[in-house]
Amino acid sequence: MIRNAKRDLSVYAAFFAMIPKLFMAYQLWFWIGLVLSVISMAILVFFWRAVYADTASISGLALDKTLQYILLAFIFSPLAGNDLVWEFGSNLREGMMIHHLLRPINFQGMNYAQNLGRLVTELMLQIPVVIVAVVLFGLRFPTDIATWLGFIVSALLGLTVMFFFYWFLACLTFYTTEVWGLGVLIQGMSFFLSGTLVPIIMMPAWLQTIVLSVPFAQAVGVPVSLLTGIIPLSEAPRVWLTQILWIIGMWILSTLFFKVAVRKITVQGG
Amino acid sequence: MTRYLNLYWLFLIQRLKVLMEYRASFILGAASTIVWQGSSIAAVWVVMQKVPDLNGWNYDEVLLIYGLITLSKSINHMFADNLWTLGRMYIRSGGFERFLVRPIDPLFHLLADRFCQDGVGNFLVGAALVVKSTIALGIDWTPPKLAMLVVGVLSGGFIFIALNLITCVSAFWIVDSVPVTRLVFDNHLFAQYPLTIYPRAINILLTWLIPYGFASFYPASYLLDRQIGNIAWFGPFVAAILLFIGYRLWQTGLKYYSGTGS
Repeated sequence: MIRNAKRDLSVYAAFFAMIPKLFMAYQLWFWIGLVLSVISMAILVFFWRAVYADTASISGLALDKTLQYILLAFIFSPLAGNDLVWEFGSNLREGMMIHHLLRPINFQGMNYAQNLGRLVTELMLQIPVVIVAVVLFGLRFPTDIATWLGFIVSALLGLTVMFFFYWFLACLTFYTTEVWGLGVLIQGMSFFLSGTLVPIIMMPAWLQTIVLSVPFAQAVGVPVSLLTGIIPLSEAPRVWLTQILWIIGMWILSTLFFKVAVRKITVQGG
Repeated sequence: MTRYLNLYWLFLIQRLKVLMEYRASFILGAASTIVWQGSSIAAVWVVMQKVPDLNGWNYDEVLLIYGLITLSKSINHMFADNLWTLGRMYIRSGGFERFLVRPIDPLFHLLADRFCQDGVGNFLVGAALVVKSTIALGIDWTPPKLAMLVVGVLSGGFIFIALNLITCVSAFWIVDSVPVTRLVFDNHLFAQYPLTIYPRAINILLTWLIPYGFASFYPASYLLDRQIGNIAWFGPFVAAILLFIGYRLWQTGLKYYSGTGS
């Protein structure tokens, strides 16, 4: 009997021990995520310092300005992220798409709200990264309210451009049913094309043309250029207008494509 | 040994059959790694168009470093990617028990269980970069240099595998080992560029603690006739020591392992 009780105890103790493990796992992710960000930022900073070792300015940008741009672009890179492709993919796999479409709310509107919620959360989670960047890598924020206004409007417009663009791409999953690879592929392209790695102004003219004729840069490169003064504030209205035109174009394109593609829904196994 | 090689072959054939069922997924997986690497390389290209000298290294020399570590990484990515998923896919679900009742080494079983197709993309990128840069640099392929290329890439690959093994063993205690592995693994990003651009502390870290330097910077320096001394040939010893530590930890972990109850 004692042996039984002992066995029971060890079984229940194992269940007990699972919970702190789960809890610790989340805690662990938070701290490790922070260290990973520090590694990425350190590489960027040392790389750019080496680049500037023998030169004072590249394409009119001094080292300090480039570093401010690169660090801010890193911090605001979630602006170019979007889970829509995976969201569509999991909806299709689970057969949930039809339920969403039958609901008496706008499916696109629902996703936009969710996307905004995700972004706000992700940016809040970047706050420790910001602190590290300020302390270790000399990041400074502009104190001028007008600059912030220019940035925030442009960032909001930019993420909306990306939302409709990703909506368009997510419709591709109705045809391919392959989701994971497609999502990673898009992320990989956005890594460079959003202007997170190199200020767009440093690219050769032909490459700038390419980068500015796809939407990725609207979400990170353009707003962060406004924030760091690489694009002067007087240009802000022109930037906003361009972004509004992008939104209109992408909205039309994605809505039309969705209407056509939605007929293609085949629920796997159903 | 031959038995394990035969077994690996059988596992690989099965895996390829599965992959061929999802051909689009196979191609997209490999393509996505190529695009990711392409983004980083494009950034280096843009910068070095403007400034052709990165702390005494020209564009092709940087590409050689980048290519060597990508080749090493691809070995780990293709043949040992399952170390990442030990906790999530095998221990949490209880699937790991399956390995323990079979008459083969559980570690071998884990590694052979999934050949990762995404690694093929890394292999292609790494090979292309090394070929492109060595031709552009006009490297004279003397026998020691050829040996260094092979030794550098292979020991680099085993350093990647050993570090992932050492960290993934934590899954036996904390179930999800991915954060721990990630913490060490991401340091390889430093070694994509010449170590000379970093402060001394980071150099020491990547040479003696998390020695990814032996996958890129040291062999590349040797190939480019830079004076770095005998340290260039330390790679295989470093890899062997790390593998030994990893395997001992793995055995300790196995003894501790008791299942999650699922």
